[in-house]
Amino acid sequence: MLLRPIPCVLAALFAASSVHADDFQLQRVLVEGARASQLGIADSAGAGSAGAKDLAGRIAYRPGELLEVTPGLIASQHSGEGKANQFYLRGFNLDHGTDLATWVDGMPVNQRSHAHGQGWTDLNFLIPELVGRLDYRKGPYSAREGDFSSAGVASLSYANRLVKSLASATIGQDGYARTVLAGSPEAGSGSLLYALELMKNDGPWTRPDGYRKVNAVLRYSQGYANNGWNVTAMSYSGHWNSTDQIPLRAVDDGRIGRYDLIDDSDGGEARRQSISGIWRQTDADSASKVSAYVIRNELELFSNFTYFLNDPVNGDQFAQPDRRVTTGVDANHTWHMHRSATLSSDLTVGAQLQNDNIFNGLYDTRKRARIATTREDHIVETSGAVFVENATRWSDALRTVVGVRANNYRFRVDGDRLENAGKAHDTLVTPTLNIAYGPWASTELYANYGHGFHSNDARGTVATVDPKTLEAVDRTPGLVRSRGVELGLRTEAIPKMQMSLAVYRLDFDSELTYIGDAGNTEAGDPSRRYGIEFSNYYRPYKWLSVDFDAAWARARSQGGNPDGDRIPGAIEGVAQLGVTVDRSGPWSGSLRLRWFGPRPLIEDDSVRSKASVTLNGRVGYQLAKDLQLELEAFNLTNRRASAIDYFYESQLAGETAPVADVHFHPIEPRSLRLTLVKTW
Amino acid sequence: MSMRGLKSLLLAPLLALLLLCVSTAASAHRFHFGMTDISYNARTESTEIVHTYTAHDIDALLLNLYGRQFDLSDEQDQAVLRTYVERQFWLADKDGKKLPVQWVGMTADAQSIVIYQELAATPLATTAVIHQGVLVDFLPEQVNTVNLNESGAVRSLTFMRQALEQRAR
Repeated sequence: MLLRPIPCVLAALFAASSVHADDFQLQRVLVEGARASQLGIADSAGAGSAGAKDLAGRIAYRPGELLEVTPGLIASQHSGEGKANQFYLRGFNLDHGTDLATWVDGMPVNQRSHAHGQGWTDLNFLIPELVGRLDYRKGPYSAREGDFSSAGVASLSYANRLVKSLASATIGQDGYARTVLAGSPEAGSGSLLYALELMKNDGPWTRPDGYRKVNAVLRYSQGYANNGWNVTAMSYSGHWNSTDQIPLRAVDDGRIGRYDLIDDSDGGEARRQSISGIWRQTDADSASKVSAYVIRNELELFSNFTYFLNDPVNGDQFAQPDRRVTTGVDANHTWHMHRSATLSSDLTVGAQLQNDNIFNGLYDTRKRARIATTREDHIVETSGAVFVENATRWSDALRTVVGVRANNYRFRVDGDRLENAGKAHDTLVTPTLNIAYGPWASTELYANYGHGFHSNDARGTVATVDPKTLEAVDRTPGLVRSRGVELGLRTEAIPKMQMSLAVYRLDFDSELTYIGDAGNTEAGDPSRRYGIEFSNYYRPYKWLSVDFDAAWARARSQGGNPDGDRIPGAIEGVAQLGVTVDRSGPWSGSLRLRWFGPRPLIEDDSVRSKASVTLNGRVGYQLAKDLQLELEAFNLTNRRASAIDYFYESQLAGETAPVADVHFHPIEPRSLRLTLVKTW
Repeated sequence: MSMRGLKSLLLAPLLALLLLCVSTAASAHRFHFGMTDISYNARTESTEIVHTYTAHDIDALLLNLYGRQFDLSDEQDQAVLRTYVERQFWLADKDGKKLPVQWVGMTADAQSIVIYQELAATPLATTAVIHQGVLVDFLPEQVNTVNLNESGAVRSLTFMRQALEQRAR
């Protein structure tokens, strides 16, 4: 058939008019690319989006590694697989998610005032096959984002419908097996999405992790995502043994092997259930969204990081149980105003409410049996926020986004110790400003300024004595401000290549640092970070894409600490190089090289963690139209490196005094996983 | 050039001009139009159907239906749009029986999506009823124009939320 004249003329007409009006809801159309252009869409060089195909092509050892699609982000693990990942981004050791706000389908994943670490982000409930997209934004430049978002935000959303139902089975080395069944049949006038995941993984450890998880999702949705609603139920449960970090000296002198452990009763179990709903209504003049959720989280966690330092008889194992119910409502409304063909403006107002009802504690244990109580608390943490944001397109070349957000937190702590109980509250107003300027066809410049914050653990806001030493302690503020400023560039001047560059500075009024022997985070000195991020995506042919990201950061404490101004664990560099080949034939494949940069492990920088390089690969073969075989290989070069390093004092059985040493968790040796996926 | 071709050529700019006027008069909003051209090809003895939609509208439709973006230059992803179009657009004979409209292919660029279908070995006269609901369920203001080109004479039918199904003759 030949192209008809009428469609041709119409197409030309549409081409001329397509930039008008309700562009505020539209994305760039995806043509011959796995990543949609962010030109004219994103407000900073550090913001972006990854689609389902991009995510499906990732080689992820664990679900949290999906977040590594965010340039400069590393997700690691220092313990058993069921534990929340350890994250690194923009010169931060984010511990288990502090300062990285993660959302799944409108539900916050970060758990505040958590027993083990502020902002605890356990993504083991995530089923990658259901993820439709991941949006990321680095830096505190959006009034829409609140707690924990200073380094960045990663927001994942599940699809309402799957293109095809799928059943997959994976078998791998080190006792790995996984099966997923998912589909989305039409039901009534809507769609019913279901998914069930069963997984087991022992890992390479001398004492197998024995990680077992059961994960399920059930969602009913009606209409379209932008004009419709959905209600979702999720359930996750897992249990595992932990091989926590081990002392380097014991490995060096042959007392233990690289994959051995010290305390063979460390481990935990986690359960998460949630019910959530999202309702959205959109037309050419306005858009409304309301989401609500109830999440129940339970964690049992047994760790021993110092072995026999504090208690030479029973050992230093401690338990940090945490159970909570988190409820919340987010609502926002946008008015879209058109002044002329080139001048348009969106005004958005929003409100967020969240309440956490938490029972947690810190106990000394021996082989998981409680022998003493350090503290035991009932925390009620309630927060409310309102924000106003104006996004104006002044001309084809100039856009601004200006916002302001007011946050109020209320903390109530009832515990076993009267001196550490009480109420506190804190309020913080955070402004943001973003300017995008692009008078050129395929290049934009950005200037961003904004304040963000993280909340501190509620227990610190009312505490007067250290429950362990009984020494007096100062109360910490509830909310800690960060200030970010950034200059960025995004260009597609080179055909088929997307490139972005960002230079930023981020100041924090108080740094949260991880306290190894308490297994908790502590509010510390102010800090300043500078960094450069460079991100590239090149697709010279339809079947070949190459991505390369590099990030460098300089983090310094500003508290005048006489020991030095380095921030332990603060990552200095990250780089990734990925190559994906997908010809029209049955074969496809990808290789991904990851450079996990060096970190100072102590304030005076005298002990450092080495950089590590890992190479992962994937080969896919289409057996039939609806049947795919996939082989994934992790750590292909079998490098012996650390997934994480710490430097602190510990004491092993048989040692007469504490020894300051590097404690590390090795990356897993080379392992293979074979997956068969059937779709229909 | 045949008479039919000439008329078609003349009609296209006229129609475009008309739409442009409407568009300029109310530039505050983007208009959502679809165009379907149905004609009989004597050489192949088939009824040929060509749809044109704006790429943004189709992209937004699939994004909001599936919660993910699709690359419509990719054959596997095209199947998703095919399923949708075949559900929303159909032709029926005088007894109300759906006619076997076949998918021929589609082209996509950043501006427009063009979809080609055909009714093999079927004259246009067989089509008695047209159902054209593409995008109408997603965009309330979507207006689809169907041009029936019979022996060089073009008749236009307008489909919108209030009128999804119309008699072709």
